[in-house]
Amino acid sequence: MKNRAASALWGAVTSLKLTIGCLAALMVLVVACTLAQVKLGTWGAVEVYMRSWLVWTELPGTRLKLPIFPGGALVGLVLLVNLIAAQGKRLELSWKKSGLWISHAGLVLLVAGEFVSGVFQRETQLAVEEGQTVNYVEAPRELELAVIDTTDPAHDDVFSVPATTLARRGRVALPGTPVVLNVRGYHRNAQLTNRGPQDPPALADAGIGAGVAVRELPPVSRDEEMDTSAALVEPIAGGRSYGTWLVSNALGAPQTFQHEGRTYQLVMRHRREYLPYAVTLKDFSHDVYAGTNIPKNFSSLVRITNPAHAEARDVLIYMNQPLRYEGKAFYQSSFGKNDTLSILQVVENPGWLLPYVSTVLVMLGLGIHFAITLRRSMRRRQALPAEA
Amino acid sequence: MVPRNHSRSFIFVALLGLAAGCGDDVAHYRVPKEAAAPPEAAAVPGGGPMAGGAGPTMPVGDVPPPPRPAGGALAWTLPTGWTDSRGGGGMRYATLRSPVAGKVDVSVTVLSGEAGGELANVNRWRNQIGLPPLDAAGLAAARKPVRAKVGAVSLYDFTSEGDRRSRVVAGFAMVAGNTWFVKMSGDEGPVGQARPDFVRIVESLRLEE
Repeated sequence: MKNRAASALWGAVTSLKLTIGCLAALMVLVVACTLAQVKLGTWGAVEVYMRSWLVWTELPGTRLKLPIFPGGALVGLVLLVNLIAAQGKRLELSWKKSGLWISHAGLVLLVAGEFVSGVFQRETQLAVEEGQTVNYVEAPRELELAVIDTTDPAHDDVFSVPATTLARRGRVALPGTPVVLNVRGYHRNAQLTNRGPQDPPALADAGIGAGVAVRELPPVSRDEEMDTSAALVEPIAGGRSYGTWLVSNALGAPQTFQHEGRTYQLVMRHRREYLPYAVTLKDFSHDVYAGTNIPKNFSSLVRITNPAHAEARDVLIYMNQPLRYEGKAFYQSSFGKNDTLSILQVVENPGWLLPYVSTVLVMLGLGIHFAITLRRSMRRRQALPAEA
Repeated sequence: MVPRNHSRSFIFVALLGLAAGCGDDVAHYRVPKEAAAPPEAAAVPGGGPMAGGAGPTMPVGDVPPPPRPAGGALAWTLPTGWTDSRGGGGMRYATLRSPVAGKVDVSVTVLSGEAGGELANVNRWRNQIGLPPLDAAGLAAARKPVRAKVGAVSLYDFTSEGDRRSRVVAGFAMVAGNTWFVKMSGDEGPVGQARPDFVRIVESLRLEE
């Protein structure tokens, strides 16, 4: 009985119908994801349809959510298992089938590569102006509360509290300092205006937040928009409260408090990742076709300075010609400030080679299979006159 | 033939879950002092999603004008051809429009209290056009006092470097416990053309009756 169930399961896992079903489901997901980008934006739609285990929908008139379709991650996982299992079951281990083995391995690698990209790929950006040196990249869709100890004249100690941690509220200790942040409130998206007489009392009682009214808004979804997040944080150190401060990425100047002679800045900003090397923009070029405003080329001449490797060299980054350095790829993405600001999209993907390797494997496998079949066919033809 | 390695799939899924759940801890970095604060990519024209996403997009059309601040609001006299309107999005108290063609943005903003202080705000303006921050001595040297009807206004004028330059001209005033910013920014040429009128607006600042 047990063997029969296992056999049925094995048959289902290795079924060609399952392969077709997965491919059909992927096509449905691609269409649905494309259409959903109108409302959710590119990133939102990809998260909902492609990088989820299940696609959920809310029942009209309720807050109850029900799964209505397998998500891209689940379909991809099933397809991956199916491809591996089917290969093991159907393909005989022989030189005759070596081309098919290699092609299947390429397909498996292609699906696995998407998983690796989905989980491990990090996209950030590096905005640098001509003459400026930058040693960090920023995540354009993630925020952090940076508490910066600016006391030392030579360096800053930066404590980065992710917005996801702020959203959980509660107490957050800053390691190595006596400061504990009591997160008393968080809005993922909010409208900040000057507080008027009709507004309720401000929850912040320190810094500029005492004069600001905060109204919660639904999160934005369009690609070109960004949430204005706001949090109420109360720094506590040595048993003393330093008041409740409003922090938001809509507030420009940092706010500061002092504890036992040390100065701490509070600033909400895009999450930063500091690099062990620095990038200096020497020149940005924005070429257009003569007599028009149609862009012809964007390029950034940057200098990479890496003290750990005693390295300092110039690199030209231009469209479709990224700089690959220390596991990151720097692409020319955008520009601004009268062509003095260059924005590089920085992609870190440990699996970036997998699609190339898988494509080569599939081509190689098909080529080998074609050659083997051709050779067999030619031998049969050669054998025919002798038999006649 | 029965598969014997079902557990590997579960381990893979578990690893995915673990990887997705990482990255929520407080991180600590010791970094050299910045020569200049990060540029604001929100000002990037023609940028793609990555560029546009670098700064918040404040809703403009449906934001009600902020109320008159306690202690009294400022009023000003518009030169010929200039117009103004209350609000304009976010923390703006008013938006002014000059008749000069080209990229010029003029805003009036009010915040209660010191609003981070004069030095931090001036350095924020400098950062917006890619200039390094000033220290207290540099701030004093850059400050040009303007005598307005409401009292002394600190006027600052900064121009970026490079072939195509940006310029910021901004006034900073403390009035009845509130900090007022009157700021004009944009391309160097149009801002320079609009500057005389802008200074006249700053000189005309007075408490609204």
